[in-house]
Amino acid sequence: MRRDLVVRYAPFTLSLIVGAALWEIGGRYTSAAFLVPLSETLVRLEQLVQSGELVRQTLSSLALFFVGLGLAALVGAPAGLALARWPALRRALDLYIMILYATPMVALIPFILSLMGFGFAPKVLVVFLFAVFPILYNTVEGARSLKPELIEVARSFRSSEWALWRDVVMPYTLPFAMTGLRQAIGRALVGMIAAEFFLSSTGLGQLIMTASQNFDTGGLFAAILVIVVLGVGLMRLGRAIELHYARWRV
Amino acid sequence: MTITGIAGEAEAGHISVRGLTKRYGDLTVFSKIDLTVRAREIVALVGPSGCGKTTLLRCIDGLLPADGEISIDGKRVTEPPEGVAVVFQHFGLFPWKTVYDNVAYGLRMAGVDAAEIARRVPNFIGLVGLTGFEKAYPYQMSGGMQQRCGLARALAIEPSVLLMDEPFAAVDAQTREILQFELLRIWERRPTTMVFVTHSIEEAVLMGDRVVVLQGRPSHIDQDIDIDLPRPRSRETLSDPRFAELRERVWANLMNEARRAEFQLGA
Repeated sequence: MRRDLVVRYAPFTLSLIVGAALWEIGGRYTSAAFLVPLSETLVRLEQLVQSGELVRQTLSSLALFFVGLGLAALVGAPAGLALARWPALRRALDLYIMILYATPMVALIPFILSLMGFGFAPKVLVVFLFAVFPILYNTVEGARSLKPELIEVARSFRSSEWALWRDVVMPYTLPFAMTGLRQAIGRALVGMIAAEFFLSSTGLGQLIMTASQNFDTGGLFAAILVIVVLGVGLMRLGRAIELHYARWRV
Repeated sequence: MTITGIAGEAEAGHISVRGLTKRYGDLTVFSKIDLTVRAREIVALVGPSGCGKTTLLRCIDGLLPADGEISIDGKRVTEPPEGVAVVFQHFGLFPWKTVYDNVAYGLRMAGVDAAEIARRVPNFIGLVGLTGFEKAYPYQMSGGMQQRCGLARALAIEPSVLLMDEPFAAVDAQTREILQFELLRIWERRPTTMVFVTHSIEEAVLMGDRVVVLQGRPSHIDQDIDIDLPRPRSRETLSDPRFAELRERVWANLMNEARRAEFQLGA
């Protein structure tokens, strides 16, 4: 049993150690303007934690992330169901959705800035726009893949339209929406940092900007490290949610 | 076990089909079908592939519109009627629901209250031999078990008419035989009107009080054969000489037509 664990986690642990060592050594032989060793980064990280700065900024970023992502889910999933249900609506809006999906959202940030100015709302909009389309698309495609046979079963049992949605369409589509949510998590993280860079500077984005402007390379990498850990954690969470709802989809 | 709804509704389940014609654009699937099924009678519907037997079944359930008239117990069918349940070839189970929730589905749609559902569902799960699998999901079960679940779901609403759409066509031969006798056993305990679509002549003769042969293009009712085998039917029925005789009769009838169709294909 223990042996299995060793075999399983050895490559991971080894690569982690090698990565950390490369960072440490690389940091010692390059200019501090580019890279500082891991040890220095960790010292700076501890300072930032001690001062309360890091926690404050992380919470600020997470608030932005979750509000934007939450709105994307609240809008994307019902809109996806509606688009799947009414083909006319889909045909009417398909072009705009495609345009918005294909546009690099960063390009829209100046427009959002001039439209809504600084503050929390425009940043939420950026995160929302980054996150909403994977949810919308997966929901539409999911709902459309519902087999007509199952709708026929519902009809033959005299299901009402509302019961058809509650008992058939929505539970069937849920795992697809969750796949969308998982994809949206990655995009929302990008949106979060982009919004914090280009709109009013707050959160981890601000931490990075400030550190970079002050040539505080240790602080810069400390902030990046936090984002990486957050990103990996949130992606894992997304994957777990997706798998949980996909049990019957085999 | 208590099963309600037998005594009072002794005569429920009378199906009348009059002058039914089904067209898809220029294609006429069947035309001027007249069929009467008495309460508690089992009519097996056979015919070559594409003769429209499944389509006819869907029309009887009000799932497909057609010209002509269908009524069940005097009420004209325009949409799926109350008291009629379908068992589908593709099982039609909801993969995200457990056996229990699948069986409860029809009752919930019928607005039966929760206490009554909790009382009835285990009975029907037991009736089809799925006790112990209440929490299983369809993907965890064999085809035979899935169709047992589909059967329990249909039986649970205590229908006066059961429409069987090639219910055992998607399971292996051995399971199919087991399920046939199981269904006969269940029918003896709780007889309902049944229209049983199948492409197996043996199955038709084993199940039916009558075997109705649907063929031609567009198809029509070509033969309506009384199956005077005694009930209850069981494995012994298969070795009854009368069974073989009837089977040959249906077979001869279908094969003549099939051969004619085969040789017409080139022309």
